[in-house]
Amino acid sequence: MTKEAEHAIEVERLTKRYGALLAVNDLSFNVRKGEVFALLGPNGAGKTTTVEIIDTIRTPTSGKASLLGMDVTKKKHDIVPRIGVLPQGFSSFDRITVRETIQYYSRLFCCRNTDVDGLIELVNLKDKAQEQYKNLSGGLKQRLGIAIALVNDPEVVFLDEPTTGLDPRARREVWKVLLGLRNKGKTVFLTTHYMEEAELLADRVAIIAKGKIIAMDSPGELIEGNANYMVLTLQSVEERASGIIRKLGFEPVHDNHRNIKVRLEHTDDVQKILNAIKEGGASFLGLDVRKPNLEEVFLKLTGETLHEDSAGEKGAE
Amino acid sequence: MNLRVIRANLVVSIKSFYREKTVVFFRLAFPVILILVFGTIFMERDNEIFDLDVQDLDQTKSSVQLAKAIGVSGRFKITQVAPAINAAQYAKDNKRNLVLIIPKGCEESLMHRMGLDDPHASVTLTEIHDPSSFGVTTKMQVLNIVLAGINQEMSGKPPFIRSAETSILTKKYRFIEFFVPGIIAMAVMTASLFGAVNVNAELRQKGVLRKLSTTPITRTDWILSNILYQFILAVLSTTVMLLVSYGVFNVSLEINAWLPVFVALDVFAFVGLGMILTRVAKEAESAAAAADALLFPMMFLSGTFFPVEMMPEFLQKFAKVLPLYYVNEGLRASMVSMDNMAALRYATIIGIFAAVVFVLGIMTTTLSEEAT
Repeated sequence: MTKEAEHAIEVERLTKRYGALLAVNDLSFNVRKGEVFALLGPNGAGKTTTVEIIDTIRTPTSGKASLLGMDVTKKKHDIVPRIGVLPQGFSSFDRITVRETIQYYSRLFCCRNTDVDGLIELVNLKDKAQEQYKNLSGGLKQRLGIAIALVNDPEVVFLDEPTTGLDPRARREVWKVLLGLRNKGKTVFLTTHYMEEAELLADRVAIIAKGKIIAMDSPGELIEGNANYMVLTLQSVEERASGIIRKLGFEPVHDNHRNIKVRLEHTDDVQKILNAIKEGGASFLGLDVRKPNLEEVFLKLTGETLHEDSAGEKGAE
Repeated sequence: MNLRVIRANLVVSIKSFYREKTVVFFRLAFPVILILVFGTIFMERDNEIFDLDVQDLDQTKSSVQLAKAIGVSGRFKITQVAPAINAAQYAKDNKRNLVLIIPKGCEESLMHRMGLDDPHASVTLTEIHDPSSFGVTTKMQVLNIVLAGINQEMSGKPPFIRSAETSILTKKYRFIEFFVPGIIAMAVMTASLFGAVNVNAELRQKGVLRKLSTTPITRTDWILSNILYQFILAVLSTTVMLLVSYGVFNVSLEINAWLPVFVALDVFAFVGLGMILTRVAKEAESAAAAADALLFPMMFLSGTFFPVEMMPEFLQKFAKVLPLYYVNEGLRASMVSMDNMAALRYATIIGIFAAVVFVLGIMTTTLSEEAT
């Protein structure tokens, strides 16, 4: 298979500068056809600028991006009919219904055979088909945006932060739709700052920070390669437990909810700590042992958290 | 240019319009309210009878006769002011803009003139007026004309110089007939400019234009859709304005092919201008403020509400660089004076302006985020 046939997107030394600000710094990566590729990073990392250069909304300062073998700066008119885009902060015409909006975008692409009902069903908006856009909740609006991105049956779908600002339930509803796209074999380019989203949906994840890609692999490989340890969480634990754990040579970390997190290399260490706490007479309400996630990978690689409200998000879910 | 895309945009715009009831109301009602208000004011003015306060300090048969003669002219409704009252204070207290004082000795002077044939015998009537009052100048002019007539009557000889009026127009027109074409031009301009600015600035701010930039729609399709949509609304509001003008004021205006031509050129020019403004001003609020700054001078200096000839010379020159002036004059040439050559001349000028603005609009409009 030739490179062109294999890759839906090829990005080479892509750079975007806004005055003194270097928003995208020398990015290079490829996205294979049929894969779900996630660009994961905090706000301001350069995700949207990158995706908007590739989907032809913006032009790069230097470097090259090709989409389906075509240069994005030179072949916009050929590229646009073959892609679907859900831009960041998607919005539509307030007084136009769900069905009319899908029909409108279908006409812009001059598609005579768009399955409007099929799209409405795909994004689970059957009950809201006659509802005007302004009356939809945030989650429903995003789902409509995804339906619109599919009116031309695109080969590559760009979803720029499709769940930002949604509550956990609405986010999960959007994920269901995105899993449907993945099952249909579409090439999906997703940007997000939710690590669960990237872990759940993406075949490959590129972690971006300050305009640079700092790691790129499947979620499992990223975690395995960058965070080969376990995290023991003791909930509502007594203060003196910290001293007991420290005596065993581990470094406990407290959070705001009287929980203690301990990073462990071996499974045996769990039992060792629990026994020591029991012998020391300290009590706790519950415990949790798990592999680290992309959040921790990001923390390890950049020294920063992925997003400010990550603790709150987890709590809310 | 893709007609299917333009039609799709048109359908969305029209549905958005009629589903927003307040927009429909104001779009159609605003020009109608203007016509009703100004029409009523100007209809009154055509047959205006002024109130006139008269203070007769002479209190003789002759002075009473003089006051009556002024009233008989049909231009004034006389109110008597008691002689003991201070006339200036009376005017201030009662907000009267003109008090006419017939002085003591009026009858005596009249006797000298008529009985003794003394040509130097005269009487001076004092006109106490409020110069800050808008209508007082006209009122004083009418009063002086009436007084000149009374003087002429008293001389007992017919006037030597007479005048006869011949209108350059075939029919007799009232001010309302000059006013309606101006209001049509202004209403179409306002709606086109604000329509283009508001819709585009709002869609840009909300990110709808960014989404559209990822579809095959072109700038030309987008601007033509905007123009066509505004033209349909302009035809609708012009029809309503004309129906109200005919129904309420029984206007006598010529409706011919020039009307849609000028309405279309008006829309073309000002939607194009709106597109440029939306591009220059990035926020919806600043775009609307910029539109205001353009609209207001044009509304008042292009001859919509009062003739350009009433303005100082430098403002008259300025009026001639305003595009609305040519739409106003063009519509009046076609609807009032029925002068096809003048209409063609004005249509050419506004047509060139519209074409330039349209091309600039296409050049500056961008749906993508990059240019913002």
